[in-house]
Amino acid sequence: MAEATIAMKVARYRPEHAGEPYVDEYRVPYREDMVVLDALNHIKDEIDGSLAYRWSCRMGVCGSCGAMVNGKPRLTCSTFLREFHPKPAVVEPLRHFPVIRDLVVDMTDFMEKLKEVKPWIIRKEEKPVEEGEYLQTPEEVDAYKQFSMCINCMLCYSACPVYGRDPEFLGPAVIALARRYNLDSRDEGRAERREVLGVDWGIWDCTFVGECTVVCPKDVDPSAAIQREKVATTTDAMLSVVLPHRGGA
Amino acid sequence: MSTGGRPRYPVYVPEYPRSWWLETGPYRRFAAREITSMFAAAFSGLLLLFLFALSRGREAYEGFLRWLKLPGVVALFAVILVAVLYHMATWFRLTAHIQRVRVGRTVLPEGAVVAGLVAAWIMASGIVLYFYIWF
Repeated sequence: MAEATIAMKVARYRPEHAGEPYVDEYRVPYREDMVVLDALNHIKDEIDGSLAYRWSCRMGVCGSCGAMVNGKPRLTCSTFLREFHPKPAVVEPLRHFPVIRDLVVDMTDFMEKLKEVKPWIIRKEEKPVEEGEYLQTPEEVDAYKQFSMCINCMLCYSACPVYGRDPEFLGPAVIALARRYNLDSRDEGRAERREVLGVDWGIWDCTFVGECTVVCPKDVDPSAAIQREKVATTTDAMLSVVLPHRGGA
Repeated sequence: MSTGGRPRYPVYVPEYPRSWWLETGPYRRFAAREITSMFAAAFSGLLLLFLFALSRGREAYEGFLRWLKLPGVVALFAVILVAVLYHMATWFRLTAHIQRVRVGRTVLPEGAVVAGLVAAWIMASGIVLYFYIWF
């Protein structure tokens, strides 16, 4: 019996060879348990070593292998070829990002924005080590845990038409991570982050399309994070008018 | 399309189509949600016109009532009603997604929040209807 195969249509961009992207089609062996990343690795190892793409863990943890697979932002390590077989799988670079080469996109914008919201615990004053750990109740952990699951895979940015239209927008993952720290009982940096989040290209740029939540492979739900941050910001602003001496939340 | 400052290497920056909102089902539903908000605004505008007619005296008010009974205007209100109901349904669903309602240590499921919002809407409509019938 002939070996089963699947056609892989892969977007290529090689600036030294062609100014515009094009598509290469490869036929690779197919098994039911193969994911898109397996097929890309087969192409790289056996057919065309010039193909460029990012990957690392192969288990949906590192967030490196995101690409558009048949038009949707997916982790290639978690997307089975059986979804498409016998039709071809079409792999393109993540949408809304500049393409450096083949499936490799420029992440600089995302990394810069991530730094802006200070995704770490900010303390006005660190307590001495001898006073022990900052303890949290299970409820306090539960408040932010969902948003801490983000793996920076940027699929949400590819699903977000607001980011597509307005590259200034901070974007879903960055705001979800900011909210993760704002909700942490050990953190005291909410007022600092609000200066970044509260601008026009921050939370208020989001029109709640909601596709960031749909494509998130870790169920982070960035769209809910953004809307809840809008509610919290508005509540704080109103309280600061009613109770001006309350101080920053 | 972001270039993240000035990259030191050549990059390809794809064009983002203006018709993005027609591309997929979820985008089209989002566009429908936003477009139907204009019908809600149109209804508010008509309500303001009604108050304006009322402020100009009996003749203007009765003229406005006659205008309301024109077949084209009745059809317009039917379209507005459908659009506003759709818009309301989308926002009930979205509100339930955003607003976590805690009862003790448990968070209510989204369906229960939507049911609560629908119940509140029916109650408010009932109160309006009560005043309309009895006063």
